Amino acid sequence: MEFLRDFLLPCFYAFAACLAACLIFNQRGLPLIFSALGGAVGWAVYLLAAPTGSDIVQYFFGSITVAVYAEIMARVFKAPATGFLLAGIFPFVPGGGIYYTMEYCLAGDTQMFLSTGIHTFGIAGTVAVALLLVSSIVRMLHHGFSRECGGPETGPSSR
Amino acid sequence: MDYDSLLNTSSTLGLLLLQSGAEAYRVEDSLLRLCRAYGADRTEVFAIPSLLIVSICDPEGHSHTRVRRLYQGGTDLHRVARLNDLCRRVCRQPPELSLVDRELEALSREPGPTYLRRLGGFAFVAAFFTLLFGGGWRDALCALAAGCVICFSKYFLEGLRANSFFVTTACSFLAALTAVAGVELGLGRQLDKIIIGAFMGLVPGVAITNFMRDLLAGDLFSGITKLADSLLTATAIALGAGMALALARYLGGAL
Repeated sequence: MEFLRDFLLPCFYAFAACLAACLIFNQRGLPLIFSALGGAVGWAVYLLAAPTGSDIVQYFFGSITVAVYAEIMARVFKAPATGFLLAGIFPFVPGGGIYYTMEYCLAGDTQMFLSTGIHTFGIAGTVAVALLLVSSIVRMLHHGFSRECGGPETGPSSR
Repeated sequence: MDYDSLLNTSSTLGLLLLQSGAEAYRVEDSLLRLCRAYGADRTEVFAIPSLLIVSICDPEGHSHTRVRRLYQGGTDLHRVARLNDLCRRVCRQPPELSLVDRELEALSREPGPTYLRRLGGFAFVAAFFTLLFGGGWRDALCALAAGCVICFSKYFLEGLRANSFFVTTACSFLAALTAVAGVELGLGRQLDKIIIGAFMGLVPGVAITNFMRDLLAGDLFSGITKLADSLLTATAIALGAGMALALARYLGGAL
């Protein structure tokens, strides 16, 4: 019962929230369901990483999972990876951090304002680094492939 | 080979891609491949979120260049996928350019997400994120209302051609006011969870996701543009909600 409440339910919420985000971005059809699923998978890993005790680590592993998932789905559906990434990464965008930073600023608590602000920035940076890591590795693997297919030598794909 | 038609077709494809929120490297890569498929080997493409330059050098050494300026963009993943699909098809077996033109025309006329989809999207994003971040079902109901308010005010203000900073500030202000009203009326319990949930429809998730991908691809201009965009949006959100909370506190003190 506890497992249901503390693990499955949040994953379901993440799934539903990402599904709604996909509606705004006009994702359609089967990719709609699968991009939302990315959010749920990422959130599951986020929750599983809780014993590490640092939410930065949790955010890191969560977003890595989402990015890997997005690259796999992009190959499966032959669609841009960004579509799957956008929806799945949504739960990891630090909306809460922005709010609490603002609230401390309003309350005049400079100490907490600064530390929350820096923490929020750290989360955003972590998510970005996680995405960077996955997509650099994918690009590296892809590079050899696209040269075989006669891709442009000095075009963007060789960067 | 009619280079002018090729230039027009490819730049229209690029413009549509940029307008639908595709990353700069995707636009450049797609256009290079497209032009190559039609035999224009000496092609250069430069894309940033607000500008697209395509230049083709013909065999006689004449340059043909088309510059497209982009003023407003959104995110329409369905259209990006369709355009990507079209580009792949065309590159595999190049048809008559006029056929490609016709397909592009049809794609550009296709309306974006319907109003109902957007409304549902904003409302449920708010509600489910409130639940995800630890709010109860009462809070989720408040967030649902705040999400609807965001959707209404966003499309009303965008219809008035307000700039995006102002739109975001106003949406965040109104959403936070709705949340405060919900809590005052006794429906909501946790004001912070409601507001954070409602925020999620406004946060620059797209910009944060894409700016790193752009920087990584070597598109420093696009990356920095998007980074600035996400910082501005975050500031706008905080500003709007801050004003609403300050106002609520002031009114609360006066009553």
